[in-house]
Amino acid sequence: MLAIAAVACLCVVVLIATILWLSFTDGTPGDPQLGYTVAHYVDVLTDHFTWRVLGNTLVFLAVTLVVAFALALPIAWLVERTDFPGKPLVFTLMTVALLIPGFAVALGWLFLLHPRIGLVNQAVMAVFGLERAPFDISTIFGMGVVEGLSLTPITFIMIAVALRSMDPALEEAAAMSGARPLQAVLRVTLRVLSPALVAAAIYVAAICFAAFDVPAILGLTNRIFTFSTYVFRALTPTEGAPEYGGVATLGVIMLAIAALMSWGYRTVQRRAPRYAVVTGKAYRPRIAPLGRAKAPAVGFVAGYFLVSQALPLVMLAWASALPFLQTPSARAFASLSLGNFRSIPSELLMRIIGNTAILMVAVPTLTMIASFAMSWVVLRAKTRGAALVDFLAFLPVTVPPIVFSVAALLLALFVLRAVVPLYGTIWLLVIVYAVARLSYGTRMTNTALIQIHRELEEAAQMSGAGTAGVLRAVLLPLLAPTILYAWIWIALLSYRELTLPVVLATGANLPFSMLVWSYVQSSSYGRASAAALIMLTLMVPVLLLYWLAARRAGLIAPR
Amino acid sequence: MTIRIRDLAMTYPAAGAPAVRDVSLTIPDGAFYTLLGPSGCGKTTTLRCVAGLERPDAGEIAIGDETVFSSSDGVWVAPHDRNIGMVFQSYAIWPHMSVLENVAFPLRYRRPRPSRAETRERAMAALVLVRLDGFADRPAPNLSGGQQQRLALARALVAEPRVLLLDEPLSNLDAKLREEMRLELREMVRRLRVTTLFVTHEQIEALTMSDIVAVMKDGVIVQEGVPADIYGRPTQAFVADFIGKTNLLPGRVMARAGDGGLASIATPVGLLQCRLDGAFGVGDAVTLAVRPEHIALSAGAGEAGGPNAVAGEVAAVIYLGNLIECTVTVGTHLLRVQLHPSTPVARGARVQLALPIEHCLAMRH
Repeated sequence: MLAIAAVACLCVVVLIATILWLSFTDGTPGDPQLGYTVAHYVDVLTDHFTWRVLGNTLVFLAVTLVVAFALALPIAWLVERTDFPGKPLVFTLMTVALLIPGFAVALGWLFLLHPRIGLVNQAVMAVFGLERAPFDISTIFGMGVVEGLSLTPITFIMIAVALRSMDPALEEAAAMSGARPLQAVLRVTLRVLSPALVAAAIYVAAICFAAFDVPAILGLTNRIFTFSTYVFRALTPTEGAPEYGGVATLGVIMLAIAALMSWGYRTVQRRAPRYAVVTGKAYRPRIAPLGRAKAPAVGFVAGYFLVSQALPLVMLAWASALPFLQTPSARAFASLSLGNFRSIPSELLMRIIGNTAILMVAVPTLTMIASFAMSWVVLRAKTRGAALVDFLAFLPVTVPPIVFSVAALLLALFVLRAVVPLYGTIWLLVIVYAVARLSYGTRMTNTALIQIHRELEEAAQMSGAGTAGVLRAVLLPLLAPTILYAWIWIALLSYRELTLPVVLATGANLPFSMLVWSYVQSSSYGRASAAALIMLTLMVPVLLLYWLAARRAGLIAPR
Repeated sequence: MTIRIRDLAMTYPAAGAPAVRDVSLTIPDGAFYTLLGPSGCGKTTTLRCVAGLERPDAGEIAIGDETVFSSSDGVWVAPHDRNIGMVFQSYAIWPHMSVLENVAFPLRYRRPRPSRAETRERAMAALVLVRLDGFADRPAPNLSGGQQQRLALARALVAEPRVLLLDEPLSNLDAKLREEMRLELREMVRRLRVTTLFVTHEQIEALTMSDIVAVMKDGVIVQEGVPADIYGRPTQAFVADFIGKTNLLPGRVMARAGDGGLASIATPVGLLQCRLDGAFGVGDAVTLAVRPEHIALSAGAGEAGGPNAVAGEVAAVIYLGNLIECTVTVGTHLLRVQLHPSTPVARGARVQLALPIEHCLAMRH
């Protein structure tokens, strides 16, 4: 156990150390004459464009947060505190929406609102005889709205959990003091929840800051960058060779900003310990009757799902069946075909499915083994250095995926090349995916391990079982539901992952998401849609498995 | 088997003060030995050190002839090699196993490992012992609190351990069940003649179940003895106060006869007489302890008569069903007195209290 935890820690440390080291190097890494310099930092920080990108990113963050909270807050309140019908369905749809790849949704929005090919623009221009497209999704504002729509589910879940763990007696006391329901919500509920809401906002902002899918699909071709797409562009310049030191420097800056955010998150969360965790106490909140407001409420929630998820996916299906994108018409319907699907070489498709399958099995397995070992060391083994392991397990969530992939690329290309030829193999992806998911994995195993009373293990020890016996006979059987649940969740995340392979994947180790990406890059939107559609379809059985595992682990309990 | 602990000391890494220091004790073969004290006194730490679940900083622990821990010789036997039965405060019944699987578990690790048939037979015998044989195939979480407690006991005893450790095993039961289990547990352990170390903060459990009681405070044993001595002859104010209710009076020795003779003590309620051993001299500060049930109350005002008689006024009367407890103001001091429920006593009444000399115990603070 100690050895596994140590290897996992080493991976985290080496990845971060590599990018730090390279940001101070001068010239091509691997060159024996490598010098050290701070010139990259000076260059990047005095570059006007860096600051513009940073400004863009801030606007992107703000729009995303406003959209996500404006939608998630009312929906969470409706589901948790009113007699809104079909609550389990809302939770199911939110979870599914959490897993639908951002690039698929972004692609759908491109087909709707792109200034040149967007169907809404085409239709409006034809009807009103306009010269210019009225909408443009490829702007910072457009990207923010799309990102906000796709981050609504995670925001919703965080707020719903906070609402659920809040003692409803606080609201009832307000009611008994004469406050009307709306006053109680504004004066008590929101105030009490404010630490949890701030924590959620910082958390969502951190995800948004690291987001790659949406800004890449919508903004890269127009040279509208957020920080993560800017790092990507610096690594893959349209002309010339990349300046690796400069890329590493951008990565370090991004890492620093992300670290600041996660420090803020932790601080706020620690100051609100009562609301940060689900107490496990079964509170029975007051359920406000919606009365005549029920129909508009249902319309609002249904509208969210239709506009944010269904509409873009329908567009994807429409585009996948057409040789080129066009508004619905007799001619368009006549040209519907499976041509795009057929044009994807089946040999390529099989290889990609094979790669993706390896990722979906190997990544969660590796992550869960490492996570369990780390949690055990932190919570059970009386070892010095447990705090360090805890910190290193938390670190990956701080690191934006694009920084991880850049670090792994530099590491594989310049440090490990001579020792282990990982570059270009699927195993590089497996390791990086697994390290990136360590925080999630350890959070799950930590929570589960804390809930297992220590005396259950001690009783096994007193019965004569050694460490291996305690693990096999007591801990693993008790943790099995959680481990299985987290395993499938990580498998699903690995399936939809785009940011890590976009930097690391080459011809041989392409996963599915990269097929869609490469078609988008070559503007083959029909084929990109077809590939995305195949990908979504193949995801369905795994989603069902996830659902079963989550029910068994008792992790889905919508009232 | 005998348990011997010598100069045990342990400090938890996160805490500043030692949890246990200089604890030495010997539990004779087959005895029921109780560590009694308030939470944080080090009793559970001592027990866990015997179990091997904590590693002490210093000292020596031996079970029978085997030294399981010795800081000077660097001996350390892992908990799973100590052959000890233990009942945990939470019972620690494994929820993913049936009742029978729970009991049979320790047998799986005995060397030589018993056959399947023998394992089952011995597990069933242990279940019969605690009257749970009808529940063998039930999922363990389906048992009630009392049944889980008995299951935990069966599991602790099934492999015929050298010694039995009980870590507040009754504290999670409701009051009535606790009383029943107290007797049942005591009877079972007596029948099996297994050396038992019991940890509790309930004085009633300590007094009714034990052969020997050791009272702990701040990581040290302050008094050890048979239950009657612990209750009747406390040597320290802390013990007198912790075990049962008692009136503590600060005082000073004014005059004294020889060793074991009568002495006069000045207290807030007046000059009281008690027997004093040779360790005290005139002018020494002492604490006098008098149990409320030993104080006699009689109605009427006037000057106090007889030895150790004081006059006072009833400040409060609390009816407890089987007795009356009243608080009497004597001068500036309050004395608690327990009376038979038929005693006529009213708040505000002037009364006389007699504090019998043989029940006034002098001790250092």
